[in-house]
Amino acid sequence: MLATIVYGFTIGAILYFFSIGLSITFGTLQIVNFAHAMVYAVGVYLFITFLPWLGGVYPLAAALAVVAMIPVAYVVERFIIRRLYGESLDYAIIATYAVLLIGTDLIKWIWGTLPQPVRDPVGAYIQVGEVDLPVYRVIVVASAVAVFLGLRVFFKRSIIGKIVVAALEDRDGVRCLGLNVNKYFSIVFLIGSSLAVLGGVLYAPIATSEPYMGFHILLVAFAVVIVGGMGNLTGTFISAFVLGMVIAITARLWSPAADTMVFVVMAIVLIFKRSDTQE
Amino acid sequence: MSAKPTISESSPSGAKKGRVLLELALIAACFLVMAIFVRLYWVVDFCIFCILVLSFDLLYGYMGRLTFGHVLYYGTGGYVASLVLVHLSPNPFLAIAVGVASGTLIAVVLGSILVRLRDAPFALSNLAFNQIGFWLANAGLQDYTEGEDGLSSMAESIGFLDFTSQPVAFGFMLVCMLLVFWLLRTFTLSPYGVMVRSIKENEERVKFLGYSTYFYKWLTFVVCGSLATFAGTLYALYYGFVAPNLLNPFGNIEIIFAVLIGGAGNLFGALAGGVVFKLMSNYLATAISRWELLMGVLLLILVFRFKRGLTGYAIDLRLRISRRRAAEEA
Repeated sequence: MLATIVYGFTIGAILYFFSIGLSITFGTLQIVNFAHAMVYAVGVYLFITFLPWLGGVYPLAAALAVVAMIPVAYVVERFIIRRLYGESLDYAIIATYAVLLIGTDLIKWIWGTLPQPVRDPVGAYIQVGEVDLPVYRVIVVASAVAVFLGLRVFFKRSIIGKIVVAALEDRDGVRCLGLNVNKYFSIVFLIGSSLAVLGGVLYAPIATSEPYMGFHILLVAFAVVIVGGMGNLTGTFISAFVLGMVIAITARLWSPAADTMVFVVMAIVLIFKRSDTQE
Repeated sequence: MSAKPTISESSPSGAKKGRVLLELALIAACFLVMAIFVRLYWVVDFCIFCILVLSFDLLYGYMGRLTFGHVLYYGTGGYVASLVLVHLSPNPFLAIAVGVASGTLIAVVLGSILVRLRDAPFALSNLAFNQIGFWLANAGLQDYTEGEDGLSSMAESIGFLDFTSQPVAFGFMLVCMLLVFWLLRTFTLSPYGVMVRSIKENEERVKFLGYSTYFYKWLTFVVCGSLATFAGTLYALYYGFVAPNLLNPFGNIEIIFAVLIGGAGNLFGALAGGVVFKLMSNYLATAISRWELLMGVLLLILVFRFKRGLTGYAIDLRLRISRRRAAEEA
């Protein structure tokens, strides 16, 4: 049972890393950013490529992958999302989907369709009672909590964070103060993308990587964002861990239903929660 | 609905009926000509796909609700029809009736929850339900759907109606497609259609005028769902085989793509888009191995440079010609 709980927290942590960016784009621009999954998946594949080059030094390869994906995320934000944003939300959504298609196919082209396993970089276990817990998973969960606290400080204390929070409330109001809202949104967008890549890199040793990995996590992350409330960062944190736990427990009882259970939860939330998602 | 619409298409009802009949004849002629040049079993497939695209266009093009879960209904129709054929009776009409009824039921239930949403939440919630359906076909209801192996079925032939004969199947699907087109054309030309388009333009104002937009949105959702189910049942009858991929959420992007090529919010566009997309996927996908990449790039081009689709440009062209003619006369 303890192993299941730790597994649930681990999945929750990865979901949290991935969902922050989605939640921010939802909150700021009201669009579904399918391209987020592309950034995530390509980032992980870059990491897998960098790892042997850098002599298997895990943190270095991870950092390099995150840095390498920042320009890609910037291009997506600047030239696709923001350009279409003023015209139609639907077009922006479809365009990001197109980017995901392109990214997925590029991965298949360059790296092939075979799953890519990555070795557990820590490899140590702690014994709690009768169960062996991988230290690595504990590190993943701890880093998610650290990121959550870090983001809280960022949005409460730093000037960029404060501007973004204010703009989430009232975009035009902030614009009237003479601030370039878009600039701050792009900064937050890049932070969200980097965290997604980081989440993917952390997840790579736990699950094998395959070209459609982005699409799979994206579907679950949508549920996280809808359950947690769009643009609500604390809500995202809580719902990521709750849904992670739902996945872990369902997987223990009946593994094929694990991912689908998340959507059942989401449907129930949609039925009972009216205010946030309604027009 | 007592308000008389003043949108361009409000011609006297007799002339309207005549025009719709003429359009039907024209579409039938186009498909018959196409059947000569393109392989017949492809054209049958085009007809089925066009029904699906038409139903999607009502929801997206006319009412402005983008969904990523449309193939849920398509797949439901396919599976229910196959199950009826296998377990209940090989009568194709019974299969269609039960299939459409079940899809409509799902749309009635889901619609009452989902139409409260709009934009991204609407698109995503549909996607979520689509994913549940995909999983049910794949694993959840494996005992009935046979999972990834797929489900084979065989419809009996009634009189001349034999789905194994391609010309007969083509005739049947074409008639079905024309029927759906006629239905949607009548719908969209009616005051109901004006209402649906007004919801797309500005829902707040429609509400302010005292209409219950919820009911109209729900009705449109149900109509779209049942028409997509209808397409699914036809698929099952024609191919005699359904697999979980019918419900794969990736299928939605093909429908969206087809609608965008043709131009959203235009039934002719939906037909043209459906045919062009299917021609492309049949010819290009065999020639080019990076089909998904190509589709992504083409989608980007469509969204950035070719927003109004084929019909949008056709309308522009007609306007320009008529303007030039007016200028010459003056």
